[in-house]
Amino acid sequence: MENENILEVKNLCKRYKGFELQNVNITLPKGMIMGFIGENGAGKTTTIKAILDIIKDYTGEIKVFGLDNRKDDKKIKENIGAVLDDMFFPEILTPNDINSIMKYIYKNWDSELYFKYLTDFALPNNKAIKTLSKGMRKKLEIATAISHHPKLLILDEPTAGLDPIARNEVIDIFQNFIQNEECSILLSSHITTDLEHIADYITFINNGNIILSKTREELLEDYGIVKCSKEEFEKIDKNDFIKYKKSKYEYEVLVESKKAFKRKYAINTIDKITLEELMVLMIKGEK
Amino acid sequence: MLGFIKKDLLMIKSNIKILAILLLIYVVMAFQGQMDLSFLLPFMSVMIMMSTFSYDSYNKWDAYAISLPDGRKSSVKAKYLATIILIIATTIIITILSFTISYAKTNIIDFENITGTIFGSLFATILLQSLIYPAMYKFGPEKARIGLMTIIFCVAIIGGFITQYVDLSSIINILNFIEEYWIIVFFMTMILMLYISYKISERIYFKKEI
Amino acid sequence: MDIIISNSSNQPIFEQIKQAIKKAIATDELKENEMLPSIRNLAQDLRISVMTVKRAYDELEQEGFIKTIQGKGSLVATKNIELLKEEQMREIEKYIDKIALISKASNISKKEILEAFEYLFEEDE
Repeated sequence: MENENILEVKNLCKRYKGFELQNVNITLPKGMIMGFIGENGAGKTTTIKAILDIIKDYTGEIKVFGLDNRKDDKKIKENIGAVLDDMFFPEILTPNDINSIMKYIYKNWDSELYFKYLTDFALPNNKAIKTLSKGMRKKLEIATAISHHPKLLILDEPTAGLDPIARNEVIDIFQNFIQNEECSILLSSHITTDLEHIADYITFINNGNIILSKTREELLEDYGIVKCSKEEFEKIDKNDFIKYKKSKYEYEVLVESKKAFKRKYAINTIDKITLEELMVLMIKGEK
Repeated sequence: MLGFIKKDLLMIKSNIKILAILLLIYVVMAFQGQMDLSFLLPFMSVMIMMSTFSYDSYNKWDAYAISLPDGRKSSVKAKYLATIILIIATTIIITILSFTISYAKTNIIDFENITGTIFGSLFATILLQSLIYPAMYKFGPEKARIGLMTIIFCVAIIGGFITQYVDLSSIINILNFIEEYWIIVFFMTMILMLYISYKISERIYFKKEI
Repeated sequence: MDIIISNSSNQPIFEQIKQAIKKAIATDELKENEMLPSIRNLAQDLRISVMTVKRAYDELEQEGFIKTIQGKGSLVATKNIELLKEEQMREIEKYIDKIALISKASNISKKEILEAFEYLFEEDE
């Protein structure tokens, strides 16, 4: 089973001034999309940078394709495509330049595929990156990350700054990418609606801690949000809910299984939960 | 590795015009015999190369580069090599031009003087690169630039002194026991400088939190 | 085969896929031994997660509607009318559950419910 996981992060720790990544564990099986969610500053980018061995002095074990991320750096990176927030080629270069550079960097660089993406995205070949809009730049970054046929895509906020149509295009590319069962995606975002449908796993990081990592099915189909009155809430056993939030007119209670809850209590309003509600309840809710 | 060098060379293509203009000024000045500006060209190529550090840091290229195969290992090496390629290219151009102009003007080639100037400028340029690059990596392009101004000033004076007032042939005479090999010594010194500088830069880069 | 996914429905997406496939089987739109779309293909076409489709297929297999052949894909199992009927019965039971829930919450007696039912079926006859 070991090699069925494309990415395994074990007990990753990293300390900064005023921020700490504490024992981050992530397991991403082959062929799956994992949505990595959390507030800005929760530790998404730091985790991603550790996986790519960009930051220093972190502890823990990180395995990509079953290989150690530091020892087998080169082998791993030949097969990873990364879109990093705010990090890219110097902006005086052009998409054409990127092609002539990448040809020499990746063994499997596919110029034809790269230019196909440029055409699909309506990106110019010969204009400096700095002249591109934010959305176009993101698309260029994605085209660049995907044109060497990687097996793992690591994307930090790839849809930030994209309009809905571009976001749709991009998500289509991601889904197309995992048509090959060997390929997986780790995708961080604070725009949870992007992930709600396409992510197979959701990992939720808050304040440097992974507070939830489950399949989309468990979270979005089994989890539920119970809305009830104060009297009703007081009847609920503490073990039967995860978090709750009190507002002026109602209690919002996060439960692990809608079905189980329905069997036990006669409270009718149990809704499906959205990732956004889940995030809010997990962060702001009480127990 | 090649890709990283290519990236640095592609980055200076928008600055090639500056080098072309300098080249033109040099040719005009050389024909008028007013001032020998041949040192300017290799010198400027290092300066232009240095501007790439600012672009790199602005777009956080160093972090992105590490996400690419061999990125951490290649980044610094590529920067040094790309710079050296540019210096050698400009030096070759200037050498050919100097000889041509000298011949066109006087019908004789002042071999000693021209090579002296060119070797002097090459040495000063390499020295500049060797000094400033570790600072670039250590303090970032912004702070290093302030240091650079000071160093340029010093190097320019020293360089000027060497090429103008010191008769290089006398140094060669002093070293007459290796007279036949002075070029080798000269190059070895430059290579050593570059190598030490490169190793320092690499160390800084590897240790740096990007 | 039409598979219509509603995001606003309270019914889970995997459930909606199951229903659509069952319906297609019942109406003979999907024939015996006919291949179903691959999990990944269907996921992409519906713009949903692979896991969701997988869950639907897994459950359909458990319920005996489809068979999965390793490395080949999923196909419609030999049809079983009993099975479909049982399935419908289960669906009905769900509604009965709901009736029970509402009646308890609003203090409507079992007798009153039964009366309402009888009335309904009498009307039919």
